[in-house]
Amino acid sequence: MILAPDTAAPLARPQLAWLAALVLLAQLPLWPYLPLWVAAAGSGLTAARLLLPADRLPSPRLRRWLLPVLALAVAIGVRWHYGYLLARDPCVAYLYVLVGIKYLEAKGARDGGVLVCLALFLTLTQYFYAQSITAAAVTLPVVLVLGGVLASLRTAPGANSGVRAPLIATARMLAQGIPLAALLFIVFPRLAGPLWSAPMSAGARTGLSETMAPGTISELSLSDAVAFRVDFSGPPPAPALRYWRGPVLSRFDGLNWSALSLPSSGEFTAATSRSIEYTVTMEPNNRPWLFALEQATSLPRPAWDEALTSASSGRVLARLTYDRRLLANVPVAQAIRYTQRSALGDRFAAAGNFETRDNLQLPRKNPRTVAFARELRGRSASDRAYIAAVLDWFHNEPFVYTLAPPPLAGDGVDEFLFDTRRGFCEHYASAFVVLLRAAGIPARVVTGYQGGEINPTGGYMIVRDSDAHAWAEALLDGSWQRLDPTAAVAPSRIEGGLGAALPQGEPVPYLARLDMTWLKNLQLHWDAVNYQWQRGVVGFNVQRQQDVLRDLGLDGAKPWQIVALVATLALGWGLAILALARRRHSRLDPALASWTRLGRRLARAGLPRRPTEGPLHYAQRAAARWPQWGAVLYRIGENYAQLRYGPRDARREELLSSLRSSLASLPGARTLRGSAREST
Amino acid sequence: MNSALHWSTAAPPSWARRWRQRLWRVAPVDRAPVVLRHRRIYILPTRRGLALIATLSIMLLTSMNYALSLGHALTFLVTGLFAAALLQTWRNLAGIAVSPLAAGEAFAGGAITFTLSLANAGAPRYGIAVSTREGPAVSIDLPAGATRPVQVTLIAPRRGRVALGRVTLSTDYALGLWRGWAYVHFPLAGIAYPAPQSPPPPLPPGLEGSDARRSARAADAELAGLRDYHPGDALNRIAWKAVARGAGWYTKQFEGSGGGGTLQFNWAELPQNLDPEARLSRLCAWTLAAEREARSFGLNLPGTDLPPGSGAGHRRTALTALALFPTGPAS
Repeated sequence: MILAPDTAAPLARPQLAWLAALVLLAQLPLWPYLPLWVAAAGSGLTAARLLLPADRLPSPRLRRWLLPVLALAVAIGVRWHYGYLLARDPCVAYLYVLVGIKYLEAKGARDGGVLVCLALFLTLTQYFYAQSITAAAVTLPVVLVLGGVLASLRTAPGANSGVRAPLIATARMLAQGIPLAALLFIVFPRLAGPLWSAPMSAGARTGLSETMAPGTISELSLSDAVAFRVDFSGPPPAPALRYWRGPVLSRFDGLNWSALSLPSSGEFTAATSRSIEYTVTMEPNNRPWLFALEQATSLPRPAWDEALTSASSGRVLARLTYDRRLLANVPVAQAIRYTQRSALGDRFAAAGNFETRDNLQLPRKNPRTVAFARELRGRSASDRAYIAAVLDWFHNEPFVYTLAPPPLAGDGVDEFLFDTRRGFCEHYASAFVVLLRAAGIPARVVTGYQGGEINPTGGYMIVRDSDAHAWAEALLDGSWQRLDPTAAVAPSRIEGGLGAALPQGEPVPYLARLDMTWLKNLQLHWDAVNYQWQRGVVGFNVQRQQDVLRDLGLDGAKPWQIVALVATLALGWGLAILALARRRHSRLDPALASWTRLGRRLARAGLPRRPTEGPLHYAQRAAARWPQWGAVLYRIGENYAQLRYGPRDARREELLSSLRSSLASLPGARTLRGSAREST
Repeated sequence: MNSALHWSTAAPPSWARRWRQRLWRVAPVDRAPVVLRHRRIYILPTRRGLALIATLSIMLLTSMNYALSLGHALTFLVTGLFAAALLQTWRNLAGIAVSPLAAGEAFAGGAITFTLSLANAGAPRYGIAVSTREGPAVSIDLPAGATRPVQVTLIAPRRGRVALGRVTLSTDYALGLWRGWAYVHFPLAGIAYPAPQSPPPPLPPGLEGSDARRSARAADAELAGLRDYHPGDALNRIAWKAVARGAGWYTKQFEGSGGGGTLQFNWAELPQNLDPEARLSRLCAWTLAAEREARSFGLNLPGTDLPPGSGAGHRRTALTALALFPTGPAS
């Protein structure tokens, strides 16, 4: 028996260690997303307090004015680093360091409580940057340690209950809480849009951009990162038809290509072939375009229930420009999932004559190329014959398809076509379009992805950055015609992907290689798991929520009905946990459980056990009250006394069954009360 | 709680009284053993629990605004932990059987010790704090199936009966996020004797014998016999040999054979200018001195006449008479 813990007492060593573990675990996942000095400062302060002996630290009085100064300095540093303070990223960075500062100055259990709250919120902020399985996995230890911290904060500073016991207790409580958490996760209403529009910091923009210089796409092709994944509702199209259209580039300055700014909206033309339907799950890239197979025949719609036919929402995620780009309403900052329809084809009607003007522009550069084009066009009977001649020329001349072309400068296209002749798809597309424009044929560069790999585990297609591609489009007889010069140089690129097309010795990204090693196989399995995670957990949004509620038959339910249902389920959850705990306890000590049951029954019948009364005494008293059950009551008392105080030998089982059967033969409390003999 | 007591004098309707009794246990009518059940157990978040609720709310808003699915998951996971902690706190308190064991005695101004028994028929309990309306709370762990005494103290402000009053059993096990508590109010009262006059006044002359024999020491006292043990009897007077033999609990009684003669303490013989409390203080000091010197004494108070005697029982009777001496009409 001790006095209750004093909450004002300074934090003891075990409490400080627990808190440090919590703070460091909360900080750790943010390291990759923070400037180095912020990461080092925040965690360094924590480690300093934990590792340095108390007498080496600045005195509490010094700390009291040092720390606000430090906090101010960090605020200035963060402002200087990011250029602004009141946005998401600088706030996360500031909070990160602030947690370290708070840990440094933490004195009592109350500071410990504040730290717990700060660290918990800091843990949440990592999801701004990643919501992967790994991110979820590193969160679990945080929650476990959170329990350990709370358990240590409530005990007396001197008491140290070790590390294992609080963690196991927390794990048990977490396991008990999971049904409730899952229920809330499913039914708690999700928002379709943000509550407030916080200034969004520009995240790292990845993938294709709206400009293309020599080297842009070959650099991107070195990455194994997933650009998007696709579920086809029917069989996937043949590899040669997998052209995923992205940014369309019409402006040329002699070396670099760029897109027209803000083109007006276009219209879909009648599909020439049967449409196919598919669902794209895009990884966030902070770019404003969505990808579709050429040619798109619908606007992308938020995908749920795999059904484009669902008429419940007219919401679209993007608009179509007249040069056939799908411009998203907002940059893709989080993984999104949309349903899309396309008719596979390589031509579509032009928006109008104005497109001719936009796509003939050429800078006064690359004289050799222009001269070559005019000469070759003069020898060709028609535009189409000229195009065929150019493609033949690419095919027959010793052009090399390579990821590592020599650098180009000045009249880059001249150099490429007549001197180096080594290039990647962007070189061929660029040179080809210049050759067409020089011959008076409107043409432009289209970038996007070509190809995609079917994951046998999940039956979906993975399109990676290594599938990035650039091709050309020419305006012939009022229609845009897709032309891929890379196919003339390296036909296997289109059929078999990057790994098939590149010469031996080139640095092909691992997953783009053709050989299916066990490691790649494993990676595909992992990708399938990730994809399910992405769809089921990360992508659980308004639509999927409605979907689940409909599956549960709750789609028409009023809010109060759902609240009532949740409340009922939560109550049931609590009762179930308590019942389970009671059962677990009676399994632990069955003799005590039976004895307690007897005590409860006799108490209801009017004979409670006195606090100081042993089993034999109590049985004696009960037998005096109910002589007709005396023998049974005596036996129960003796059995229990034997079990509790006797030797731990083989007879225990026998005693236990005797105890149980005796208890079972005793009538209920009501009968006992009725048949009690009036005695003292 | 004091105000609650005052209300009861205003005779509110019976249903209100019933509810106030049920909610706040204002009247000392609990009968042993009180088993803590859902009717008695209250649970509210602690300050730290409220801070966590606030944090979780902010986390939820952030998750909603940024559509962070994993943020929702983390928020709800910790919410689940928070809810499971509530059940732990409740389970830690529910099923404990509380009984009053003993109420001690003290001199006015001293601390009276009350002993309660906590019986745990279920799983182990941790950090059960037992507190009275004042005085420090004591914290106790109860292993599975254990019964443990808990002693709480109250400072006796003046002589007379000191009711234990309402006792609060509380716990914030396992995470300190919830505080569960329950009230028990037993009709248990200790006795506060008058504070003995200090410094002790000289004893009045005895009825017989001379002062010279008064110096006889307690050591010379002879064992006069055994009587039944009463809770509160001095430990050095218990017949431990008899206890060890299993013969039962007895208290040794001594007769001051070599002590001075029998003393007689008379209220009426005290100086008239002493007020009643001072008289009681002096009588108390005399009683203690007589007991210390193992002399037999008689006590005469208005309305009470205690024939001469000695021993712990006699001393207790005398001190109790002094403690409970009515204040008003005495002078």
